[in-house]
Amino acid sequence: MTLPQTPAPAERPTAKDGRPVFLPSDVDPTVFDEAFLRQLERLLLLMRAPVRGGLKGGRRSVKRGQSVEFADYREYALGDDLRQLDWNVLARLEKLFVKLFIEEEDVTITFLLDGSASMASGRPDKLQFAKRAAAALGYIGLASEDKVAVSVLGGRTARRRTQLRGSGRVFRLLSDLSSIAAADGPTDLVAAARHAAAQLTGRGVVVLISDLLDPAADRVIRELASTRSELIVLHVLSPDELDPPLEGDLRLVDVETGASIDVTADLATIDAYRERLAAWKESFAQLAAKRQATYVDLSTEVPLNELIFAELRRRRVLG
Amino acid sequence: MPFATPLALLGLLFVPAVVAMYLLKLRRTETIVPSTLLWQRLAADVEANAPWQKLRRSLLFLLQLLLVAILAFLAARPFVERPAGLARDLVVIVDTSASMAATDVAPDRLAAAKQAAIDALKDLPSGGKVSVIEAGRTARIVATGTSDISRVRQAIQSIKPTVSRGDLGDALALAQQLAIQSGDAEVLVATDAALAVPPTTKVDAPIRVLRVGDLKGSRNQAIVALAVRRAPSGITNSVFVSVANLDLETATRRVEVWGDDRLLETRTVTIDPQARSDVVVDNVGDADHPVSILEIRLVAGDATDTTARPDLLATDDRAWAVIPPARTRAILIVGEGDPYLETALSYLPNTSLFGTTPEAYPHDVIRPDGTSWDLIIFEGNVPATLPTTPILAIAPPASSGLGEVVGTLKNPGIATLGTDEPILRYVDLSTTHIAEAKQLTLPAWARAVIPGPKGAPLLYSGVRAGLPAAVLAFEPRQSDLPLQVAFPILLANLTGELLGGSAAPTSAVKPGDPVALSVPTGAGGLHVVAPDGRAVDLTPGAGGGPSVTYTQTDQLGVYVATPIALPAPSGSGGPSRAPSAAPSGATPSASGGPSPTAAATGGVGPGADPMAPIRFAVDLFDVDESAIAPGSNRVLEDLGKTQPAAGASGAPGASGGAPAPGANVDPAASRPNARDELWVPIVLIVLVGLCFEWALYHRDAVLRAWRGLTGRLRRSQRSGT
Repeated sequence: MTLPQTPAPAERPTAKDGRPVFLPSDVDPTVFDEAFLRQLERLLLLMRAPVRGGLKGGRRSVKRGQSVEFADYREYALGDDLRQLDWNVLARLEKLFVKLFIEEEDVTITFLLDGSASMASGRPDKLQFAKRAAAALGYIGLASEDKVAVSVLGGRTARRRTQLRGSGRVFRLLSDLSSIAAADGPTDLVAAARHAAAQLTGRGVVVLISDLLDPAADRVIRELASTRSELIVLHVLSPDELDPPLEGDLRLVDVETGASIDVTADLATIDAYRERLAAWKESFAQLAAKRQATYVDLSTEVPLNELIFAELRRRRVLG
Repeated sequence: MPFATPLALLGLLFVPAVVAMYLLKLRRTETIVPSTLLWQRLAADVEANAPWQKLRRSLLFLLQLLLVAILAFLAARPFVERPAGLARDLVVIVDTSASMAATDVAPDRLAAAKQAAIDALKDLPSGGKVSVIEAGRTARIVATGTSDISRVRQAIQSIKPTVSRGDLGDALALAQQLAIQSGDAEVLVATDAALAVPPTTKVDAPIRVLRVGDLKGSRNQAIVALAVRRAPSGITNSVFVSVANLDLETATRRVEVWGDDRLLETRTVTIDPQARSDVVVDNVGDADHPVSILEIRLVAGDATDTTARPDLLATDDRAWAVIPPARTRAILIVGEGDPYLETALSYLPNTSLFGTTPEAYPHDVIRPDGTSWDLIIFEGNVPATLPTTPILAIAPPASSGLGEVVGTLKNPGIATLGTDEPILRYVDLSTTHIAEAKQLTLPAWARAVIPGPKGAPLLYSGVRAGLPAAVLAFEPRQSDLPLQVAFPILLANLTGELLGGSAAPTSAVKPGDPVALSVPTGAGGLHVVAPDGRAVDLTPGAGGGPSVTYTQTDQLGVYVATPIALPAPSGSGGPSRAPSAAPSGATPSASGGPSPTAAATGGVGPGADPMAPIRFAVDLFDVDESAIAPGSNRVLEDLGKTQPAAGASGAPGASGGAPAPGANVDPAASRPNARDELWVPIVLIVLVGLCFEWALYHRDAVLRAWRGLTGRLRRSQRSGT
């Protein structure tokens, strides 16, 4: 794995003061420093099974190839590369055997970022958290020679950005993420996810980063899990949603739909909310397990380095 | 249950108001949330679309309804009735004498007496009227015939302790005046019954005594006398202190003598029960260290324990005396001149001698500086009009106000001398011979110091018209006395008494006694400052004399009266009190200094600076008041009308008929019942209810705080491990 090269000046998006828009971060400038990037390069997005990719990459393939990792022997057939002959076996048994090695191929990692209005709420900002998580995971993908694509789910569609490959394209990735803004109106997450699924090509990894605050969020998981790609769901909620600091007689107004609901937020109500939230997340976890997907629930309070180097490694998303 | 103000039950109308408030839909605060998805089911049970929401079962609601009902009940003032224990017209007498400051009951007897009086008011019949009398040195009414019990309580609480002798006789007389106006009266006396003067006033109403104080509480020692005498030398002072032990056990106390806030002397005295012990301290103050204010403190016998209270009554453990400043006294000799006399007088300290002839005397009666002489000695002559100064007449030629001259004695012998005569102290006259002396008759105001033959005194002394005076019947040169050592000693002792050096023991001003203070010439009044710093300006009235009367002597200690200088008249060179401005007949005391009462307590004497501050001390010195052992109730109760036997008043007569008109009907029979209002338990219930409601309303906040605390503890433990 090679270190990220400094891109050409023309390729790096810059702000008015000449500083890159996304690197270092406006929120936490130490996050994406050189040391952090070096640490990211040591990680790999894990997949449940080897995949058949397109170009030669850094990921194990079902095909036998030319990597350094031995896979098997088979008898020599006409046309085989003589350089693969195992001369030791020929000397001992006087039979021609060819050494097979594991082929390393690339895959496409698609990040589906929920761009609904609800993602722009909460403190820390859920959308900001999602973009930073996608940036870090995307850099890991680029560094491991995978193709990285970003789709934003907003309204009823998914806006897919140009697919990137190679760690040198990290600034383009960051630029794409930086330009994402939350949708103004309501978002039909199912329709948008379905649109995104239609844009997927071949097998790969789909990383959905969303708060799943949609009545049909389970259908989103079903739709995406039914594609040929492996699905990773990063369920992002803010601390205000995990433990609402509400008290008294309130009229709650939905930021997306504008619908309101009257609530007396006493301790019993808050406790009931927490129970309901836990059951809601558990239903997603069970559905994900059933559909061979990975479900990770996260709080935006979690620092990015802890998310990458602890949380996602513990959940076997990164290795 | 009866109510004092049943109309207040209309407050129950607030119950529907509370219900209406619950029926009205709440105005809710709008809050933006990312999604209402997770709230939908939770909110289902509180949602309401109508302006009126359904009345739901709520503990808070029920509690509020209950509180409104209880408050209306409270405002209606429910009460229970019981037979009254007191008459319809009650006179409460609270003893405020000095003994009521004793601390045998906490915090003191007066506080206990006030509380007892307030507690007794519970037995007052409904509509009963109460008068409150404060019995100090004089009686004072602090509340008159009021049925407002809170005002009565306030009046009783406002009573302050005094340091004077109490006189319950005055208070009982006043109570009698109040009682005779009522057919059903009773007198309640809150006192320790330690009566300095047992009252004799009869009261036409029953007297009930609320006695306070521990019956064994007699532990008290008191300073009962303090006198300061100027030593014959005229420079130092001798202090005489008398301490009484009013306890039934022997007591050891220390007597501290303080002069101008400096500890001068300490004596330890052991006093037998119910006895006195006298302490004499000589040589207090001298020319180098003069003392102007003397204070005596009676402290605990154990010198190491400075905090212990020596006894139960602190009021009588301190006493004060004012010592007039030592100054040069001016003595005028009117006569032809006697070298023996002048030589002997010239040896007296702090004196200046002046001489004049009898012919020039009338012009010299006033000194050039306007002050009067401290002593005038008439040597062989007596003026027709005697001056208002101390006088020593030597061999008066004729009868005068100083005494009657009835003849001449040749070679008179000296009769037996008194052993305790202060003028003859250290004087030996055993070898004295007198050639000729005037035969005098001893006046009523004088005592014979040197008795002569046939009852004719050779020297007598006394206080004439308020001023000391003495008459020596012979001229010194007509005897061999001037050649003896006794002569200067005799003259020193004699002039010492005439100049006020060894006058009778000073008598302090009693607390509450008025003091007449002279306003000096050139002053517009006096600025009197009490021991606690309270100040008052006294100015003589337009038609009054040059004196003012100060009455606020209700504290023990030293009072200072400073003359208030008049503004300088325009055109004059400054304040003028020239002798010529004063009338020739002006008395010396009119030119400055207090009245004899204040002068006796150490005020400035004649001839002092008239604008100097006048000091006088107020002391208790009352053995009867210091005897704090509580007395018997009977002394007071016997002064009142006998109360009818309990139960006899309410019972119907044996004949079963109504009492005949004009018969002596027991007023207790027609007395209304006493009322006990139940507001205390109701208020307690309301308070408990409010606390419960508060806890119920804020239970979420309390639980949140508790969870936050436990969560933080758990996190810190986790981070610790």
